[in-house]
Amino acid sequence: MLDRLAGQLERYMDLLSARQKLVASNIANADTPGYRTRDIDFQTEFQNAAGLAPHIVEVDGLPVKNDGNSVDLDREARLLAENALRFQLASSLLRSQIRVVRSAIQEGRSA
Amino acid sequence: MSLFSVLSIGASGMAAQRTRAELLVENLANSETTRTPEGGPYRRKDAVFTSTSVASPFASVFDQEVREAGVAVSDIITDTREPERRYLPGHPDADADGYVAFPRISPAEDMVDLMGASRNYQANVAAISAVKDMIGRSLDLLR
Repeated sequence: MLDRLAGQLERYMDLLSARQKLVASNIANADTPGYRTRDIDFQTEFQNAAGLAPHIVEVDGLPVKNDGNSVDLDREARLLAENALRFQLASSLLRSQIRVVRSAIQEGRSA
Repeated sequence: MSLFSVLSIGASGMAAQRTRAELLVENLANSETTRTPEGGPYRRKDAVFTSTSVASPFASVFDQEVREAGVAVSDIITDTREPERRYLPGHPDADADGYVAFPRISPAEDMVDLMGASRNYQANVAAISAVKDMIGRSLDLLR
């Protein structure tokens, strides 16, 4: 009943959750010796419509500290905020989709 | 891919940093301690972190490829450096030459580490509140 867009939004929100999980892991391990920043390639994963569990990669090009740790807290803070905002947007869009269906069910009587 | 396990990750980070802060405060409190149960002066302690997978109640059922990595204190290391010797002939713990062994603790080192632990704790709290907001948004879809 919900159209293809709703399915895409669901996938988008799933991916955002997965990414947020990795960001939280990176922040928690900001002082763990030898820990490398982990992330998913968002574009590739989103185009991969099969809905498989995302592939995790270690992020290259970040400065590595003396203890082998490559977590950059500024990067993680940015991603944390960005993911939360994107999720907010996606959930608002999905909510408006659901509202349309609900309106149809209720014969347009109430929104 | 439940968002709830992210809360466990943040909590593991907070717990690890709290343990570290406890050790650092212990170091500062004992910076002049010359007697310990093991004998000799107090020795500086520090926490070593390792990444672990956090225990989530449904982990075994919904085992996904995204392995959540929390953090845990794997080891508490004790400083092996020689104690600092100060000439205090009147001190009850003075050796035959009048020197007393004091812990080799630099308050600056501990204070800087303490600031790091506190900032990291804050970062974990920020992660938890961001995820809490996301969970709240998802629940709003049901209304």
